[in-house]
Amino acid sequence: MYQFHYQQGAAGKLDAFPHILEIYAKKNTAIQLQSFPQQVAKGLCIYFIQEGKFEWWVNGVHYFLFPGDTVLVLPGETIGNEKGLLELGSIYCLELNIKPLKQGELVPGVWSGLGQAECAAIGKLLHLKSTSVLSRMSDAGRILTSLFYEIHHLELAYVTRVNQLIDELIIAITRQLTRQCLPARDFSSIFMKLEDALRKDLSHQWTVEEMAAIAGMGTTLFTEKVKGFTGFTPINYLINIRISEATRLLKRRDISITDIALDTGFYSSQHFSTTFKKLTGYTPGEFRKNNTYTE
Amino acid sequence: MKCIITIELGTNAVRIFAFDLNGSVIGSMKGFYPTFYSQTDYSEQDPEQIFITMLYVLKNLLNEVIHARKYTVASICFSSSMHSLLVVDKNGVPLGNALTWADNRAKKEAREINASPLADTLYASTGTPLHPMSPLLKIAWLRHNEPDKFQRAGKFLSVKSYVIYQLTGAYLIDYSLACATGMMDIRTADWAEEALQYAGISRDQLPQLVSVFAGAGNLKKAYQNSLGITDDTRILVGSSDGCMATLGAGIWNSDKATITIEDSSAVRIAGNHILQDEKKRVFNYLLTDNCFISGGPSNSGSGIFEWFVKQFGDSTGAYDMETCLTTLLEEATKVPPGSEGLLFLPYLLGERAPIWNPDARGCFFGINIQHEKQHFIRATIEGILYEIYSIGRLLMEHRDIKGLSVNGSFATIPFCSQMIADMYNVPVYVTKHNNSVSVGAFLLAATEMGIYRTLDEAAAQVEIDKTYWPQELHHQTYMKYYDIFERLSYKLSDEFARIAELQAHRTQ
Repeated sequence: MYQFHYQQGAAGKLDAFPHILEIYAKKNTAIQLQSFPQQVAKGLCIYFIQEGKFEWWVNGVHYFLFPGDTVLVLPGETIGNEKGLLELGSIYCLELNIKPLKQGELVPGVWSGLGQAECAAIGKLLHLKSTSVLSRMSDAGRILTSLFYEIHHLELAYVTRVNQLIDELIIAITRQLTRQCLPARDFSSIFMKLEDALRKDLSHQWTVEEMAAIAGMGTTLFTEKVKGFTGFTPINYLINIRISEATRLLKRRDISITDIALDTGFYSSQHFSTTFKKLTGYTPGEFRKNNTYTE
Repeated sequence: MKCIITIELGTNAVRIFAFDLNGSVIGSMKGFYPTFYSQTDYSEQDPEQIFITMLYVLKNLLNEVIHARKYTVASICFSSSMHSLLVVDKNGVPLGNALTWADNRAKKEAREINASPLADTLYASTGTPLHPMSPLLKIAWLRHNEPDKFQRAGKFLSVKSYVIYQLTGAYLIDYSLACATGMMDIRTADWAEEALQYAGISRDQLPQLVSVFAGAGNLKKAYQNSLGITDDTRILVGSSDGCMATLGAGIWNSDKATITIEDSSAVRIAGNHILQDEKKRVFNYLLTDNCFISGGPSNSGSGIFEWFVKQFGDSTGAYDMETCLTTLLEEATKVPPGSEGLLFLPYLLGERAPIWNPDARGCFFGINIQHEKQHFIRATIEGILYEIYSIGRLLMEHRDIKGLSVNGSFATIPFCSQMIADMYNVPVYVTKHNNSVSVGAFLLAATEMGIYRTLDEAAAQVEIDKTYWPQELHHQTYMKYYDIFERLSYKLSDEFARIAELQAHRTQ
């Protein structure tokens, strides 16, 4: 392993990649004070453990890391060692300038070859991550090694190749993140995890691709599984939860119908009203008049 | 042409069937709703989601099947799982989620009341065991732990009562479901004063008691317009899923019992008098005049075997629980009955009948060096079925059982049906239509319409698809091991309490 450290603005090698804030390969042979204090990540950071055993805290959660482990830190999250020390060993790090959108989703920039829907799905999954550590992810090490090679050697078409490798890394991490959090074979547990994600963010315009990604499946298999398990297509199940939640909110006086519509993921109060009436026969206003919560 | 629609509000899903008047299925659809487990012993469901899911599925079935094929809906008959509790305010608006039968938060109340003289009085009048599942104890828990909510309570409902109220505006509960609340006097078919006093509520806070044949009034106009149904359609209050499953299995005033095994299980018999069990282990639900469903429920069922499959099944390959389950079942057949001395107590979720011990825990017993994986698979299935058999033994203290009708996904796996026949040493029947709850609801509605004169006549229409005959040698083997199984279930009572206590405080 050769060592290097490029930072945006300080190394010409990153001029063609404004989205890379920092990239390094480091072999730590001596423990120094304040070598790895807890710090707030500016962008999306990906660490890969090459050698050694590390004890890090990511956003307050304690992890022991071993070779092959990949650490994912979102912008604004904290990372570091509680005592401020970087243990002996080798690590790779890539920090990307990807800022969270209003809803907390992370969407790669124009440099990425990922489609808009794919970006949205990946961004949503990263935002919903339930762990920061992906165990034994040798793929990340392989991709990062290729990435370093490309940036270091600047061979023909290196710009395209570097951006492709970053996309590949993000895809691999997102897929692994989904699979790792899912109990194999147990679709009811997988479905409850999805249900939880949908309910937590009902105003988000969920796509089937995003929902399938949370379940760690392709859209065809996912749709088939959801239909068998719930009796609904994924989108119909989502509408069902939206109307249920709206029904509950309509019984309270302190929230307007427009707010209910938007909070539960309808495009507008008109869209909400049409969908609600189609199912129940009542407009939201009529329903509210007949069903009021007592204080 | 006329049709009958049955709506089953089950533990995890609503299942809606449409039958023609001959009992043939015209169409069916289901819709899932989740259960939330926010804390140990808590099990809740969102009443709005249940209602909306029911509405959604009903509307789709009507639009896609019933109206499309020019059927008119003569009757809609409800059934639901038992022991749910939903508190609503004086305007009928839910004050939080519904608690399901599996909600065990009222453990302390159950322990206390079972140790008091009131237990005998309540069991004598209500005919149902005093357990945390019972809405009576859930209300007592609420009074002790959430006094504000208790004060604001307008009504204490079941999920089925809530759904019917939403549709028609009437607060109703049928006798059989009311028995399952632990608050109805089974002898007078009225709310039991001593139960109400214990719960601290008045009778006007409960829905009106009605017969299973009672009409629930007309659908509100908005729902009529939305669903395309008129005042001509009769909305029947119906019964509980357990009673419907018994009726739908064709077991009626006979010397047969029915076994239902899904996630949880039950063994039930129908008769013209209640079973007053000295140890208060048997439930009794009044269905119609002088017709009672008696039996015992178990927390053990396919859910326990699925747990085993998840932990010890082959975890490579695609997500497919069913394939994995089938593979394990095949493995189990390689081991002789009795699993060569390996026993499994299936109390992973505590247990109701016959031991009624929420602290009971699972256990493999008798492991020796020769036991292999397939022994554990078979022992797990045998353990679940020994437990079901123990409920049958309890019922046999009161009545003869000369045959069994089995239903539910787990019971009708041929390997399991045969095992049940061998354990009980009586023939086991599987009916043609496996969804006995819906068939029961159809038979109830058809009887109400006059198609059948009585429920006996209706139940006689249920056709048998397959019979499993007992094998005497297997029975003898099972009985040797069952004896140890039964002794262990009671002997380990102190250890269950201690381990449950440690598990409850494992984070401290």
